[in-house]
Amino acid sequence: MSNIYQWINERLELDDAIKFAKKKRVPVFYGTVWYYLGGVSLFLFAIQLVTGILLVLYYQPGAETAFESVKFIVSKVEFGWLIREIHSWSANLFILFVFFHMFTVFFAKAYRKPREMTWITGMLLLVLGLAFGFSGYLLPWNELAYFATKVGSDIAGAIPWVGEFMLRVLRAGDEVTGATLTRFYGIHIAILPGIFTILLVMHLMMVQFQGMSVPPEIEKIPEKDRKTIPFFPDFVLRDFMIWLIVLNVIALLAVFFPWELGQKADALAPAPAGIRPEWYFMFMFQTLKMIPAHVLFLEGELVGVMFFAIGGLIWFFVPFLDKKAHVGIRSRFWTWFGIFLVVYIIVLTIWGYLV
Amino acid sequence: MMRFYVIILFMLMTILSAEDSCISCHTELDEERDDGDKIVVGYMTGIHAKKDVGCADCHGGDPEAFDDEDEAMWDVDDFLADMEKQDQLDMCGKCHSDPQYMRMFSASIKTDQVSQYLTSDHGKSLVKGNQKVAVCSDCHSNHGILPVKDPRSKVYALNVPVTCARCHADGQYMKDSGLPTDQLIQFKNSVHGEALLEREDISAPACNDCHGNHGAAPPDVVHVKDICGTCHVNNRDLFQKSHLFSVLSKEGFGQCEACHENHAVLKPNDSFLDWSENSVCIKCHLDGGSAKLMADHFYTIIDSLKQNLQLAHSIVDSAENKGMIVSDLFFDLEEARKVLIHTRTNIHSFNITYVDTNAAPGFKASQAAILGAKASLNELSFRRKGLFYFSLIITFLVVVLGIKIKRFKK
Repeated sequence: MSNIYQWINERLELDDAIKFAKKKRVPVFYGTVWYYLGGVSLFLFAIQLVTGILLVLYYQPGAETAFESVKFIVSKVEFGWLIREIHSWSANLFILFVFFHMFTVFFAKAYRKPREMTWITGMLLLVLGLAFGFSGYLLPWNELAYFATKVGSDIAGAIPWVGEFMLRVLRAGDEVTGATLTRFYGIHIAILPGIFTILLVMHLMMVQFQGMSVPPEIEKIPEKDRKTIPFFPDFVLRDFMIWLIVLNVIALLAVFFPWELGQKADALAPAPAGIRPEWYFMFMFQTLKMIPAHVLFLEGELVGVMFFAIGGLIWFFVPFLDKKAHVGIRSRFWTWFGIFLVVYIIVLTIWGYLV
Repeated sequence: MMRFYVIILFMLMTILSAEDSCISCHTELDEERDDGDKIVVGYMTGIHAKKDVGCADCHGGDPEAFDDEDEAMWDVDDFLADMEKQDQLDMCGKCHSDPQYMRMFSASIKTDQVSQYLTSDHGKSLVKGNQKVAVCSDCHSNHGILPVKDPRSKVYALNVPVTCARCHADGQYMKDSGLPTDQLIQFKNSVHGEALLEREDISAPACNDCHGNHGAAPPDVVHVKDICGTCHVNNRDLFQKSHLFSVLSKEGFGQCEACHENHAVLKPNDSFLDWSENSVCIKCHLDGGSAKLMADHFYTIIDSLKQNLQLAHSIVDSAENKGMIVSDLFFDLEEARKVLIHTRTNIHSFNITYVDTNAAPGFKASQAAILGAKASLNELSFRRKGLFYFSLIITFLVVVLGIKIKRFKK
């Protein structure tokens, strides 16, 4: 065994990596638990990667084959149901944990200098995660997915100047058809994973190089007085323990709350009642529903899209807008802005499900 | 909206009355009538006005004579009013039996109404001088004649039973005919009546669908199966080949109506076969015998198919509600359901072997659905057991890791 390790070590310099990991320290304070959220998100992404590759072995894109192949996977392929359930559940939990991760980073002011680029890459990863969700939702080609994609891509079409073009690019035509499905499949399994991997590597490298951030009030404590634990093995083992628990939760959800396959998409059928997007788009969907058809001289949908575009840009550039954070001061404005956003998302999401 | 139509109608009447003395005078006369039978309003809403067939085309007279009533009507040779029933028939037949004339309105229009009428019981009675029988205007109205497909028409499918019943349910009017007058009541309570009058399903039969339209006559006993067989084709075909059909025909007994009644056709029920007061067989086979054995057998087969299907449905539904993909099993359930329906038809063969042979695929389909659903439920149980063992392993690993982490702390 030691010979094998030696063989690998001579080529990959494992000793150096372990030395680096042992040297690396993780701060221990009231918010140490937040550090695990990024790791859990990474773990969930890895699960999706593995299960996604397995699903690709049987999935057949195309209006005539997609639904049937998913049905085949969940009903005939050995443990196919499990792979699909884990893929779907881990995708949803991934978005959830990325949201948690983002807000803990925000409230800990971890985006302040020199970690602005870590925030930016993280935000881009969230956008890609949402794009994964939107493109993956259509792939089973069932009734709900079909109409949700129709509504979702319509919203993209409301963007001024480029909306029409984006709509056609997304749908691969004027309507949601088999061509849209093939396009979404390509985006879901090739384009997005490629970009995501590059950004993820950048994000992780920056975390490793810059170390774990601590909130401004902890930073004020002299470094020698701060409590820390070694990254390896202490923190890694804790991380691993949480991953195991998350894996168990996914298995539980897969067995007791399987995702319905529903009816095959039919472009000629009337839209079923209660079309809703995935839960992570619900707050935006509900907002758009609440905006009147016309606001002054603008169309309501356009106002909604502009509202989210401006809000998204502000959120995206928070590290550059929150000047106080750079000097170790918590800005009350930005803290309240974050709290407002969290409450807004929660309330609008619940509202969306209730009405 | 109604006001709009009245204005349009009034305008039309005004325009026409300037050219037609019949319209002009009868519009005024209509205003004085209080029996609701407004001749001009009826005519204007009818098909004849729309096709430019004027009053004089049927009644004769001179529509251009405005000054004198006699000049317009009574002094004109061909003027017809207060006609005998035979004259009414001739009046309608003058155009409606003329293919060349009627082709102007529609290439496929029928022109055999009068000849058919003369073969009907109505027509035959009229020829014998009976002035109480129905002629064209009794069913189609006199002036407000509407196309058959117009829901306001008296001969529109939904209105036919009431139109026929105006005479046939009137005991006083039908006194001399010797015919019963309870057909409408019976029909209303029948499966056909419920479909037609309550559900307004115009594909359900009205009086004319069994008795004929213009050639209306009660079907002969031997031809009842053909009348019912117009819609119930499979039942008729099976029954016609059965031994029971030969026996009933030979003896001159009723056919379909012997079990199902004529106007009061009840909704078929599996209890028709159950040897109790609901049984239709017992009406003739008082002593039971081989008829009872056959009925019992049919009842058992249908009941078993039903029970199997219900059981299969409940297990498949249970598997589906638990999140299992069982959509393929619904094909088996559909097959079993179809066989059950066919078996209810097949009993009209009165042949045990035939019924049994054709019921077998139904049992097979139900069984396939039951087995498939049970396999799904077993799979679900396997998944839950798997989850349990998986959770045990994970818990064990978490505990081991927890101990290890504690040791690191120390």
